[in-house]
Amino acid sequence: MWLPVAGLILGIILGFLFSVEIPLGVVKYTAIAILAALDTILGGLRAQLEERFDLSIFITGFFANTFFAALLTAIGDLLGVDIYLGAVIAFSIRIFSNVGFIRRDLLEHYWRGLRQRGAAATAGPRP
Amino acid sequence: MALIAPVRPLRVSRLQAALAVVLAVAGFLAVTQIRNELLIRQQLRVPSQRLEELGFMLREMERSRGAMEAQIERMRGRLHAYEQAAAQGRAQLEALGRQLETFRAQAGHVPLTGPGVVVELNDSPFPLRPGDDPNTVILHYTDLQGVLNELWASGAEAVAVNGERMITTTGLNCVGTTIICNAKRIAPPYHVTAIGDTDQMARHLGRPDGVLAGLRSFGFPVKVTKADRLTVPVYRGSYRFTHAKPAAPEP
Repeated sequence: MWLPVAGLILGIILGFLFSVEIPLGVVKYTAIAILAALDTILGGLRAQLEERFDLSIFITGFFANTFFAALLTAIGDLLGVDIYLGAVIAFSIRIFSNVGFIRRDLLEHYWRGLRQRGAAATAGPRP
Repeated sequence: MALIAPVRPLRVSRLQAALAVVLAVAGFLAVTQIRNELLIRQQLRVPSQRLEELGFMLREMERSRGAMEAQIERMRGRLHAYEQAAAQGRAQLEALGRQLETFRAQAGHVPLTGPGVVVELNDSPFPLRPGDDPNTVILHYTDLQGVLNELWASGAEAVAVNGERMITTTGLNCVGTTIICNAKRIAPPYHVTAIGDTDQMARHLGRPDGVLAGLRSFGFPVKVTKADRLTVPVYRGSYRFTHAKPAAPEP
């Protein structure tokens, strides 16, 4: 698990090192893109814990979600409807549910590990 | 690793590597976004969600500023016009005031002071012989009127006789041996004070075919004195205009 965390820390450090200035008109799109990225990452984490992680789904999902979130916001601006609010709500719901699943998966792992260690202890040494 | 307490080992590190890369990108993006947002808040004092509102307000302010500047121009123009009118009004008032002062002076409303001449007249000191015409030794009001006329004709601006101011409607009357002036009796000696061009008046009074010369030839004492500073008093009578009315200006 340490590699992804190291990657995250690396990204944060790079963000502080390189000050990229986002033009004021685009700030809203990058905000929603980051929300989409966060949702994808958490989804990937949950998939990994449930042993159904698929790399292609993850990568494509990351870029697609980010792109479509920004696109939806742009269309909303053109139409004059705050569609990005819908995207914010949708991603927030997904993030919360993913966090919930991750929590349950982690706890299940923990309890299963406890039970198995307990079973192994009572079962005695392997024949 | 201890948190997971693995039953089955987690997937191959290739996926972890992918996750690491993605997280790096996401982390970079998030940090950049956060820094920009904080910069916006620091510079503009509004969060980025209110940027549209800010732009709208800015346009509103610019538009109303244009309207206000136009209003300032109009107000300045009006102020300028009012100031000019006031200046003209002031000028008119001053002109009227000066006219009023002149009229007041002419009407005898104010005491005046200035250089001029004093003419002193008296009855003849010659004793009256029986059978003589008293008119030859008594100063008549026509003589006094003659002196006054010569003074006005030679440029007197204000005249007083024995302390009585002469104005346009003042006439000398004769009652018996007394002269009435401004409904007041005056008696010899007569002091006629006239303010005006001293030399001009004295010259006119002293000419050989003038009234004073005639009086002198009859033996009446006449004395003309020049003075630098004379005072004529204010007219104390009344003004009456029961018959005369303002006439329309002549075409």
